[in-house]
Amino acid sequence: MRWFNADLHIHSVLSPCGGLEMSPRELVARLKTIGIDWFAITDHNSMANCPAYEAVAKRAGIEFTWGMELQTSEEIHLLVYFDNVVLAQAFDQEVYASLLPLDNDADFFGDQVIIDENENILSVEQRALSNSSLWDLNTAVEMALAHDGFCVPAHVDSGVNSIISQLGFLPEKPRFNAFGITARADVSRFLQKQPVFSGKTLIRSSDAHYLSDLGSGFSRIRVLEAGASELAKAALRLDHRNIII
Amino acid sequence: MIKLSDYLHAVGGSNLTPAIDAEEIGITDGYVCDMLSDVMGSAKAGQAWITIMKHLNVVAVASMTGIPAIVFAKGGVPEAPVIEKALEEGICLITSALTPFELAGILYKQLEN
Repeated sequence: MRWFNADLHIHSVLSPCGGLEMSPRELVARLKTIGIDWFAITDHNSMANCPAYEAVAKRAGIEFTWGMELQTSEEIHLLVYFDNVVLAQAFDQEVYASLLPLDNDADFFGDQVIIDENENILSVEQRALSNSSLWDLNTAVEMALAHDGFCVPAHVDSGVNSIISQLGFLPEKPRFNAFGITARADVSRFLQKQPVFSGKTLIRSSDAHYLSDLGSGFSRIRVLEAGASELAKAALRLDHRNIII
Repeated sequence: MIKLSDYLHAVGGSNLTPAIDAEEIGITDGYVCDMLSDVMGSAKAGQAWITIMKHLNVVAVASMTGIPAIVFAKGGVPEAPVIEKALEEGICLITSALTPFELAGILYKQLEN
């Protein structure tokens, strides 16, 4: 068992709202500087940039987990994490096929750039990624589970694109074992407003779109090793695993 | 106050919960929104709620706010468990091919007359 400083909700240059400064080398260098030793890239509806960031993270000796911030048909943002890259890429393709077939307006949203580890531009994604999948929440969770993904509803304290803002209250199903909160969430005030989350595992992260956002929110996580299945076990506090926000 | 059945007819809709008689439901006002947290905070009893959101939680939100009927725009039909839940709660579910704008306009006119 060991402790990590984990920031598990970060956007790369692929997210149209993300800054082009979020290149793998810059991002990893910044994380090292601020002492984050485990991170995930969670772009909107795509994991196309995970290979590049993973490679740079490995070279720098910090832990990386594949992730995605999926937008369901109810416009709920759902974080999904993977250990198995083959299953992650299969899921990625399924998600892509489920997206509304709309093109990205680059002038308005910015370019969606897919890069390699040396920051060469491999391609520019034309389809709008800041959009919804046709999958509803239940379908999205089923699909993620079928690909060994671990699901965490994102920024549940946010008034936009959260399971609460979209559904009014937490549905009984699907059941989640962890919930993401924003960098600046005042947990005690949030729990007063939403007591349904009392006693539930919360994971704080930055949701960074720019370098200066990195590490603005992170969690201390105690696991055997960095990864999605260990995160799932930590959410349940199994065998002394822990998550502290 | 209008009868839900008159509105149903005007929007060419169909009753997804036929066990609930639209003839028996009175509508006094309307609400159009797809964000359930907003509907929970702002919708009032007696309103017909026009939405494209089909998640199970719509029934609970309608029940909490005293909404007697939910109108799914653009031909939306929720899954069977949603319809079952609505029957349990006594909330009439309607689907119509019209857009929320058209549905609201027709309801507004009917209520005005």
